[in-house]
Order: sequence, then structure tokens, then C-alpha cells
Amino acid sequence: MHLDPDRWQRAQALFHAALELAPGDRTDFLAVACGADGELRAQVEALLAGDARSAEGGTPTGALLPDGLLAGGLPGAARALLGAAAALPERVGPYRLTRLLGRGGMGEVHLGERDDTGGVAAIKFLRDAPLSPTRRERFALEQRTLASLDHPSIARLYDADVLPDGTPYFVMEYVDGLPLTEYLAFWNSSLTERLRVFRAVCEAVQAAHRQAVIHRDLKPSNILVRADGTLKLLDFGIAKQLDDPAEVPDAGPGGAGDRTRTLLPLMTPAYAAPEQLRGEPTGIYTDVYALGVLLYEILTGRQPLDLQGLTPGEVETAVSHQAPPRPSQMRAGAGGGRLLSASRGAWAELDVLCLTAMHKDPQRRYSTVQGLIRDLDNFLGGEPLDARPDTLGYRAAKFVRRNARGVAAAVVVVLAGAATVAFYTARLSAARTAALAEAERSGRIQGFMMELFQGGDPAAGPADTLRVLTLIERGVQEAAALEAEPAVQAELLATLGGLLQRMGSLERADSLLARALTLRRSLAGGGGREGGPGAAADVAKSLVALATLRVDQARLEEAEALARQGMATASGLPRDHPAALEARTTLGRVLQEVGRYDEAVPVLEEAVRGYAARAEPGPEYPAALTELANTHFYAGRYDASDSLNRVALAAYRERYGARHPTVGDGLINLGAVQFQRGRYREAEARYREGLAILLAHYGADHPETASARTMLARALNYQERPQEALEHLSLALGTQLRLLGPVHRDVASTRNELGLVALAAGDLELAESSFREMADIYDRIYDAPHWFMGIARSNLGAVYLEAERWPEAEARFREAAELFAATLAPEDLNTGVARIKLGRALLRQERWREAAAESRAGYDIVSPLTEPSVSWLQSARADLAEAHRALGDEAEARRWEAEAERVRAEAERG
Amino acid sequence: MEPTPNGELDAHFSAAYEELRRLAGSVAAGERAVTLSPTALVGEAYLKLARAGVPTPDSPLHFRRIAARAMRQVLVEAARRRRAAKRGSAAAPITLDEAHAVATGRDLEVLALDEALTELAALDPRQARLVEYRFFGGLEITEIAALLGVSESTLHRDWRAARAWLAVRLG
Repeated sequence: MHLDPDRWQRAQALFHAALELAPGDRTDFLAVACGADGELRAQVEALLAGDARSAEGGTPTGALLPDGLLAGGLPGAARALLGAAAALPERVGPYRLTRLLGRGGMGEVHLGERDDTGGVAAIKFLRDAPLSPTRRERFALEQRTLASLDHPSIARLYDADVLPDGTPYFVMEYVDGLPLTEYLAFWNSSLTERLRVFRAVCEAVQAAHRQAVIHRDLKPSNILVRADGTLKLLDFGIAKQLDDPAEVPDAGPGGAGDRTRTLLPLMTPAYAAPEQLRGEPTGIYTDVYALGVLLYEILTGRQPLDLQGLTPGEVETAVSHQAPPRPSQMRAGAGGGRLLSASRGAWAELDVLCLTAMHKDPQRRYSTVQGLIRDLDNFLGGEPLDARPDTLGYRAAKFVRRNARGVAAAVVVVLAGAATVAFYTARLSAARTAALAEAERSGRIQGFMMELFQGGDPAAGPADTLRVLTLIERGVQEAAALEAEPAVQAELLATLGGLLQRMGSLERADSLLARALTLRRSLAGGGGREGGPGAAADVAKSLVALATLRVDQARLEEAEALARQGMATASGLPRDHPAALEARTTLGRVLQEVGRYDEAVPVLEEAVRGYAARAEPGPEYPAALTELANTHFYAGRYDASDSLNRVALAAYRERYGARHPTVGDGLINLGAVQFQRGRYREAEARYREGLAILLAHYGADHPETASARTMLARALNYQERPQEALEHLSLALGTQLRLLGPVHRDVASTRNELGLVALAAGDLELAESSFREMADIYDRIYDAPHWFMGIARSNLGAVYLEAERWPEAEARFREAAELFAATLAPEDLNTGVARIKLGRALLRQERWREAAAESRAGYDIVSPLTEPSVSWLQSARADLAEAHRALGDEAEARRWEAEAERVRAEAERG
Repeated sequence: MEPTPNGELDAHFSAAYEELRRLAGSVAAGERAVTLSPTALVGEAYLKLARAGVPTPDSPLHFRRIAARAMRQVLVEAARRRRAAKRGSAAAPITLDEAHAVATGRDLEVLALDEALTELAALDPRQARLVEYRFFGGLEITEIAALLGVSESTLHRDWRAARAWLAVRLG
């Protein structure tokens, strides 16, 4: 069919017009419309025939390509892919391919044998080369790299070419050997033998470094040892040239840094350095790290961290933060072979040597492989090492000075964490207040933190959470060395504990905060009063800090007890003493958390009054206001909540200016109120304003920004804009998984929204998996039942209702109702709604009597709390009518129907 | 189709390649071909990549657009290569297992469709993209509407016309 764009437009117009007509009328129509243009007419008629053909076959795709692979979708594609992989020739140049040696991210390696000389070689092919220039480039780079390296311990490049079908390959030295660790285990090598082999590995790596090549994928399977003990380094597939201008460190977003990042899936996580997993610049130090891990495995027979079964996010967290046991502790199980024998002193040296090489901070590792070799020689020669263990003698001030930027960032996190978002999102303002107050009250620590905070560049603000965690762990080590100054030690522990809590490391925070409390109690003497008011205030602070931690752990009874203890301890202090006010705020928050809103309100109001009465109210004042606003919010008093939020927002604006993250949080709180009032458009506007501020302050890749996106997504979903919601949710989820790991409340919250969007869009599979993961997270992070667990189950139940999987729906709603009744109240709105839905699940199973009982119970709970026309009550009325009719009580059934009709008509009028 | 993908697409594709390939492998092995739609598969790939910290396009939807393009390339290249192998050396291995036989039968279809789509792109680029997204990416009309920024009713008209044209073109 001959067409150009213009004619195609005309043909289409006629085609659509003809489709509007009855088939019998089309011929006449076309005769008139096309006039003398017989070609056009023939084309339109062909199109109409084509349309009829493709329409009668059912699905358009299937009809178009009756036996098409497209009907099979991806399975067809998969077969095509795998078929292609098999299609290598039998022969490449003088080599006959005899077997597959291995398959990796970049290609396949086959063994080639020469018939003429009997020689062998390894031949590496790039799979699916035509598809991606990037992959071709990387393959060519590996080839160039190998060509540039000339060392007895690095496999040599012989030849390189391209197959007729365009597949590039190169031929290199074949090494008949065992992977490093298998070799050592096989020969049951002694400690000295092991270290000598390791030294040879280091030399090979050092040779590459001398040619400015970083290997970046060092691991046992890439180091083959021949029977004679000589070894070869293989696989420079993700190596990089140190002086490659495209790979300079500090490349900004979208720059070369991203390129490195795309290598992630190709690496082997066990040997990857923290900076590699985080996508940060790599260098010589990256290979030094991998060598450290190799040494660890050589010494102990196992890898330093057990990364089995972890998700990539968990791996990144573990590698970045989890300290491996010292090699000397692990040698007992060394490879099942004989114990490596060495003196205690020698093992202590090996610990230092190995852990220096694999230090999490690149700056603290050996700066070159040569340095590592030198210390190996020192050890083998009985000389003292150059490396020193981390010195623990620093004082707190020194710690902070050295880590200036990190601590500044941490303070930003704490100060700016401000108010809270609503509903399912975890609320941390009290934790923030506690940590902040700690910072303010801690003599020296406060001094340098504030100095750093004010002196720092606020625009540089965003905190790298992972780095901060590392700094905190180092701070903990330093604190341990402050035995002689228990007061400073306690301050440091308390501050670090507060930061850890803020970052979700609750167990770790628990141990630090508890230690701080113990120290402060002993400083304050028996009754907690002997050390003077300052000591009592410190004890009160510590009690309150632990109370906020218990809230995060959902151990609410303990939280309440601790907060009350804090108030009692502070009772000797002036009423507006910060410690007393803080205790009051925290108690109010605990009461709010357990749903005792009426008790929480006067406690919080008193705290607010106390702060307001102070000459300098401080940032705790708006924080307490926000807490009070939240209490009213949860109690459903949206007007009160709204006006308190506005006051808090004004206070934050006055204190910090219009673009501070606390202001962003305040706006988000205002949005949450609008949302609850059903004003989704206004909620969206407030959320967007808040998000813009948080984005400007923290950047896109930050937990605060992510959780704001989740809120915004909910408002979008309620406006039936699922695609926009989905975009924000996937951004939020990506950030949260990366920064917070998979088991975190924020992740649960985002998964919940994702599930709701999916449910609304009818994607039940995604909805189910989202809610399941959400439930799993809550089950794991809360020690005691929490109403969020009920939300997860109730939403899961909704999916099953939709999917008509009635027994599963029943089970989930039953669990939800029990959880709500236990954690909130038997007469709470959530309990009522869950029971109404449980009634629906029973009704569909024709268990009429049980259904009627549950629907009625739920109805009685919900109806005093809401408008009569809410959908829950209307479905309860319909269900009750249906159940009673089935039970033969027609009068009752009619009564419910009439009631439903009356409410509906009233709502329409009103 | 364009001879080489543009830079952005290629970067994403390289990142996605291993994951897509792995998924494809598990589908071909019959593990879950019955239950998993292309949409679900690609969605899964996207989440995995996002979780691994690989730079991904802004949204699953954009990722699926890219995956659609990638799938088309994969299929076409595979088909071309097999045909080249058959015409070329007599020593090319011939496997007669069913999967291969089926795939070979489909090579012509893939190549014909690819060619037809390239022609259609010259007539109306939007229609060509629409077909690519639907056939190779399993995207729904609503999703494509969001991606291309046009109304669904327009796309329904486009779809019907493009489908008819392809039916004629592929005879």
C-alpha cells in the first residue's frame, strides 16, 4: 500500500468515518468521498478488511499474528533470547570450542583447543553485543586493559576479533588451576603458606595498579592457583582506568558517577567495598578492601559477614555498618581444616592487619597495596606493623572536631526532623525534641554542635544517613574510652543514642540510652537528688529519652511508666525547667499514642503553657504545639488541630525562616488535616508546598522527602490520579529501601499506599503483595501488638474481598478487629469498620447468622462516630438486609433496606 | 527501528539487561509462564533494580517504555542472527528441539513486524510507538495515554487504524 503521511491521514479519516456506518452503506460512502481517487478508495477498503480480520480473532495481537510470539509475550521473547545464546560457532579462528568455562555478567568464557599445536586458550564472548553500545564499550575496555598488563600473575591476552554475526570476543591465556580458597583448603596450607600465596595476590594487584588499572572485582574465583603454586589474576570485566577522565570521582548526578553505579549488579557483594555498594567513587582503596576480605577468608575459612539471603539494600547496610568479628575469634572453625597455629600476639597483629585493610572508611585503610605488602612482610619477619589499631583515647571534643561535617549533618537531621506526619507515618518529633534538648544541655558537646551547626553551610545540609551511622558507631567507641569522665561519657552516649533512635536503630539506641541512664543515676547518687538539680535533670532527661524509645518500640506501658518517673524525678525542679517540660510533653505523647486523648490534652496543654511562659521558648515550644495538634488530629478534632498547627507553623517560620524543613513538616501537617476533611485538592497543595521545601533542603534522596511523597501520593490517589501517585510512591520506595533498608516503618507506610493505589486500579496481585510486606514489616518491628498491624491486615482483607477469597478475607478481618480492640479500644472506629467488613466476608460464605452478628456489632460501633451516610454504614445496612432475608426475617430485612434508602435520600438532599 | 538506542535508553538498558535476561530465563524454563504477565515481569524487574540502587527511570511506567524498546531490540536481533547463522556456515549447529523450531518460525514474523513498524513510524510516529508499547511492553492504553500525553480516545482511534494498516501490511 503506497502511502505518505498526508495520504495516511486522509485514509484514516475516511476509515474512521466508514466504521461509523453500517457495513452495507460503506461502499456508497467511499464512492462519494473518494471521487476519482481510486487508489485512496482501494486503500481504505483494504484497511476496513484488515480491521475486520484483526477484530474477529479476539485479541488484536493474536488476530494480527495468529501464531505470533507476541501472543506469548515475554515467554516468546525469552525463547528467542536463549536460542540466541546457544548459537556460537563450533570454531573460532584456529580454536575448536570444547566446553563452557563460565558465564558472567559480561559474557561467556569457553575453552578453545588448537588442533595444530594442541594449545589451549580461554575465549570470552560478549553476549547480545548489538543491543548495547555501553556493553560493547565495556567489553572493549576489558580487552584493552588486559593488553596493557604484562605480569606473570595476570592472564595474558592473545588475540581479539569479531564473529561474522557481530559478536566480539577475545582469546586469552587459559589457567588450569583452583580458585584461591579451594586451593588453600585442598592443600590444607599452613598460616605462613597462606600468607605467602596472599602476598603473591597482592603483588599481582599492585602490578595492575602500577598500570593505573583498578580491578574492582577481586574474589577467590577470579584468582586461580596452579598446582605448582603460581597464580593468575583473571576477569578485568569491571576494571577501570584510574586516569579515565570519564571516571573522575565527585562526578555529579547524571555524570560519570552514575556510570560506575550501573556496574552494581555485576559485582560480587561479599567482596565489594562499602563505597562500591553505595555507588561512590572507587579507587585503589577499593581493591585494598577486597584484599582485606580475601585475607579474612584465608585466615578464618569464612567471609567476614554473612550476607546470605539479604536483599541488596540489606547487604549495603551490613557492609557499611556491621563490624565483622575479629579474625582471631573466628579461626576455630577455619575451613574445617587444621587450626592455624600462631601465638596470641601474632593473632592480635593479624587482626589489625586484616581489619585495617578492610576498614569501612577508605581513608583508614592501607593507602596502597604496597603498604599492605609491607605490613605482611613486617609480620612474616617478626617486625612491628605500621598499622595501629583504632586509638580509643580521644576525647569527645576531638571526636566531633574530626568529624565536623558528619556531626553537623547529624544535627541537621535531629533539629530538622521536626513535626510529624499523620496517620500511619511514624511520628518522631518527641524523639527529636529529646535528642535536641540533649544536644542543648550537653556542655561541650552542645558547644561544638551548635558551633558547627551555625558555622556550617546550611545549603550543604542533606545528611548522608549511612555516613552518619558510621560516625555514630565510631563515637560509641570513643565514648567507651571516656571512663574517667562519666558525665561527658553519659552525654555522648545519650546524644548518640538519640541519633541512633532517630535513624531507626532501636536496639542499638536502647543499649546506649540505658547505659547513659545508669551512669547518670550513679552520678546523681541514691535518690537521684543528691548530685544537685543538674544531676536530677540529667536523670530525668535520660528517663524521658528511654520513654520515647519505648514508644518507637511500641512498648507503651513501659513508655508511660518511664515518662512518669521522669516527671517525678524532675518534680524538685522549677515547673518550667526544660527537663520537667520535656517529661510532660513526652507523657502527653505516650498517652496520645495509646489513644487516651482526653488525658493527653491537659498534659500537653500544660507543657505548651510552660514553654510559652519562658523568656526564650525554644524550638520545643512549637514541637509541643505540634504534639498537641496531633492529639486533636487523632481524636478527630480537626479544627483544633488545624489552628494549633498554624500556630506551630508560624513559630517555626519566625524562628527558622520560610524555607526551613520544620516549616515543610508544618505544611505537611496542615495538609494531613485537609486530607482528613476530604479536601484532597487542598491537601495536595499543602503537601506539595511542604515537599518543595524538604526537597530543597534534603535533596530528593532522603527519608524525609520520601515520606512526604508518600503523603502526597495518598492525596493523589484519592483524587483518582493513580499514575501520579504511583510515580511518587516508586520514588519514595526506592529511596527508603536504599537508605532505610526493607524493614522500616516508612517502607511499610509507602507499601500501604502502593497497595491502596493498586487496589483502586484493580491490580490485586500487587495490592496483596504490598499489604503482605507491610504486615510483615510491622510484625517484625513491633515487640507488642500495634494497631498498624491491624491496618495491614484489614487492607489485606479488602484485597481478598475484592478477589472473592472469602475465607482469607474473614481471617484477616478477624485478626484486624482483634488487634484494633486490643490496641485501640473495642469501640474504636477501626474496630467497628473491621467488624463490618468481617460481616461481609461471612455473608459471602452464606454464614448468615454470624454475618448478621458481626455487621450489627460493627454498625453499633461506627454509627455514633460518623455521619449516617458513610459507605461503611451503608454497606452494613445492605448486608444486614441480605442476612436477615436469608434467615427468613423479611421484616427486619425490609427495615434495614428502608433505613438505607432514607439515609441515601437524605444525603442527596443535604 | 533506530539503528542504535539513544544514550539514556542504553544506560538504562545496560542496567536492566541482566535482570531482564534472568527473568526471561525463568519464564522460558516454564516456571511461571502461565501466571506472569509481561507487565508483572517488567514491574518486578523495575522494583529489583530500584532496590539495588541502580539508576532507574523516574517511574515504573517509563521503565516499561524502555523495556518495550529493549524487548523489541532483543527479539529482532535474535531473529536476525539466527537467520544469518542459517544462511552462513554449514557448520552452524542445528538444534531441533521444539522451542527452537517455534522460535525460528517466528523469526520472520518478528522481522516483518519490526520492518512494518519502522514504516509506520515514517507515516505516524505516535502510532508506531503505540504499537511498540502495546506489543512489546504490554502497556495498557491508559498507561500509554499518560506516557504520550494524549487522550485515550485518540489512542483508541490510532490503535484501530494502525492495527488495520498492519493487518494489510503483514497480509
